[in-house]
Amino acid sequence: MPTSSHALEAINVSRKYTRRDGSQIHALTDVNISIQEGEFVCIVGPSGCGKSTLLQLCAGLDSPTHGSIRTKGTPVSGPGPDRGVVFQKDSVFPWMSVLHNVEYGLRCRGVSATEREKVAKHYLHRVGLTDVVNAWPRELSGGMLKRVAIASVFANGSDVLLLDEPFGALDYVTRHKIHDVLLELWNESDRAKRTVLFVTHDVDEALTLADRILVMRGGKVVDNLRIEHQRPRNDEALAEPSMIAIKLTLLEHLGIGHAHRFLEGVKQ
Amino acid sequence: MTLLARARNRDRLVAISVFMALILGWQLLSYAFPQEIVPGVPMVPGWQIVFTTTLKSLSLYWPGGWGFGSVAAGEEQSYFYAFLAIVYHSGATFLRLSVGFICGGLVGLILGLAISWSPWGRRLVNLPIQFMRVLPLLALIPLFQIWFGLSFVGEATFVAYAVGAIVFAAVVNAVGNVQLVFIENARTFGANRWYLYRTVILPAILPEMEAAVLLALGASWGAVLGAEFLGAQSGLGYILVFSRDYGYLDRMFLIALLVVLYATFSYWLAMTVFARINRWNKVAR
Amino acid sequence: MFGISKERRLDHAGLTTRVIQPIRKILLRMRFDPLSIAGLILMIGGWFALLPVTPRSALPTPWGVMDAIVQKFWFHKTFAFYGLIDTGFFSALVYTTQNVLIAVLVGGAIGIVTGLIAARSSLVRAALDPIVLTLGTIPIIIAAPFLLLWLGGNRASAICTVGFYVAVILYTYAQRAVDNLNPTYEAAARTFGASRRSVLYDVLLPGTLPEILGGIRIALAGAWGLEAIVELLASQRRIGKLIRSITTASDIESLFAALLLLALTAAVFDAIVAVLFARITRWRLRPESN
Repeated sequence: MPTSSHALEAINVSRKYTRRDGSQIHALTDVNISIQEGEFVCIVGPSGCGKSTLLQLCAGLDSPTHGSIRTKGTPVSGPGPDRGVVFQKDSVFPWMSVLHNVEYGLRCRGVSATEREKVAKHYLHRVGLTDVVNAWPRELSGGMLKRVAIASVFANGSDVLLLDEPFGALDYVTRHKIHDVLLELWNESDRAKRTVLFVTHDVDEALTLADRILVMRGGKVVDNLRIEHQRPRNDEALAEPSMIAIKLTLLEHLGIGHAHRFLEGVKQ
Repeated sequence: MTLLARARNRDRLVAISVFMALILGWQLLSYAFPQEIVPGVPMVPGWQIVFTTTLKSLSLYWPGGWGFGSVAAGEEQSYFYAFLAIVYHSGATFLRLSVGFICGGLVGLILGLAISWSPWGRRLVNLPIQFMRVLPLLALIPLFQIWFGLSFVGEATFVAYAVGAIVFAAVVNAVGNVQLVFIENARTFGANRWYLYRTVILPAILPEMEAAVLLALGASWGAVLGAEFLGAQSGLGYILVFSRDYGYLDRMFLIALLVVLYATFSYWLAMTVFARINRWNKVAR
Repeated sequence: MFGISKERRLDHAGLTTRVIQPIRKILLRMRFDPLSIAGLILMIGGWFALLPVTPRSALPTPWGVMDAIVQKFWFHKTFAFYGLIDTGFFSALVYTTQNVLIAVLVGGAIGIVTGLIAARSSLVRAALDPIVLTLGTIPIIIAAPFLLLWLGGNRASAICTVGFYVAVILYTYAQRAVDNLNPTYEAAARTFGASRRSVLYDVLLPGTLPEILGGIRIALAGAWGLEAIVELLASQRRIGKLIRSITTASDIESLFAALLLLALTAAVFDAIVAVLFARITRWRLRPESN
């Protein structure tokens, strides 16, 4: 079987749903994407464009009506530790302590107690939660719980990370901080960079994080924008003309029409 | 004292006074209704009678053994024999109750988890569960009587059925209420089905199971007494029905007090156990 | 697995799209669940399956039970022989049903009203809660013999006994419903300038209605059992005595018949109440689950 270097690809993927009254919903139509190892790709699009559906398919929590999803050349047939997921809703198990939550994936795979405690504590330290290692999830704030979820996924050693609008419920400041946490973890020096697929409706978030932005609309991929800028991208960086151009392109895709006129002016 | 604390104190005072009023009210009623159904036994026995004559009369139910003779065989009625009688019969009831409760609970739990394995399973048992829900429990006693006759197995099985039906229905319902995001999350970590059950489903259903266990506990007390009513030779229900057939309302009352005490204690015990297990629960009280 | 809808389960052979989905479309139009019916059929099938391995004295045949139902429904000489007032299942059932419905209506009304008041007045709450929590938790099997001996084993005392327990259940339900109601609704109403009366009628009553109606349904289901106990214990009449006489005669077919009819009646009323209440509260929000 030919192995490809693509960490994640979708080949002619379609996903249809049937409503109660028999009519069809075309969530995805002939979507083709390919993501290289180590890339940080954001999917941006309005509500209902199918971006979350695509992520669910990549995670293996759902299967396409047509086409296939492959990771490193092999088709995806279900969820698994090679593709870690950070969910939109609170997924941290409330009946386990923070430490046990982060250890969970390692426990599933039979890693020894001492080893997994070491790994878990390491990642909890890197997300800044050393103080609450033995706390119950109910004692933590929303932002802290998201950090636990991120630590869990990184601790499990997944090569591919799938994030489904994970920071939507967080306030502006917390979101800024957690972007830094995520990028820092992603930029680990002691191993190959992981592949990240990040779904969001927040244009600024995508511009801060991504190497590449895929734009989706009506179940199709309509644009593929590369961002060359160096990270970390602070507010000054986001204000540069090249970034503004990309942002306006995105806004136009999202249907915020009056940006069109600005775009004409900037392009000159 | 803060306004809140003062209000709480007032409420506590009212609660205590209501309690005292109930006790006092009973005593007043006993003076108001001195009629007797059976000579020497008033319809509403006052507390002074309940804790002396009635208590002593319970020694009649001590069947003898453990080195002590029985009243029927000629021994004198006394508090000591009454105590032995209470211990003996309470023990008989407890045994039936606990064996039935544990067996029924385990079977209900295992069957419930097994059926919930697939979503089809849950829809399949939906109607049978509804049917069991409306079938009055204690109306089934005669049926169990025909099936098992008067035996420990029959009584314990009846309790087990009562507990099992409740636990089964509750488990099926609770598994259906587990949030999808937890299940998906565990699967993305690579948990297989068994591990998923152990680490996600079971802990997640515990809060809901507390209500069901308390309900089952109440039902099991009713069930064990009901089963004893219909022909057991020992146990608190036996004393109750024996006294009733002869009109000894005072003995019935004393046994009733005892049962209420035991039942309340068992509720408290169950709630304490669950409080410990559910330390993690989000619901703040 | 675990109720993830069929759409989301893995589908390798395209079976879902080609076979199951079209069938589902048709069945959804018919608005009932084939699996539930299958469950019922399985239960009945289980009865048949057990027949060859159980003695007839323990498990009667379905047609034997049907026979007993048909024969003894209106009038049967054996019941007259037992000296029962009811000479057939029907009249006994009617009596029991009437008792249950009256007890639920009256006891329920008392329980709901006191519960609502207690939720908003801590004084009433402090006075009633201890009574409810002590007397209300006495298992009916303990209290019933007393109440029946004190009040006489007639119809009124039976209704009062069952009614008391129904009131206790609904008192708790009503209180909890008011406590659980999102306080934002009441606050919003006040900002619109609503009077206390309007808050009660337009916010509290409709807002707590779903939970209270649910409580009524549960109380009704329980009331059948409570009534059965009361009749079993004390009655000189009706289904209770009926069942006792049948048991003495070891007539298992009639016993099954009696129990089945009782369960069926309870189920029918439960279904009626469920549909009625669902229609009344068509607007209610449903919580998310898997």
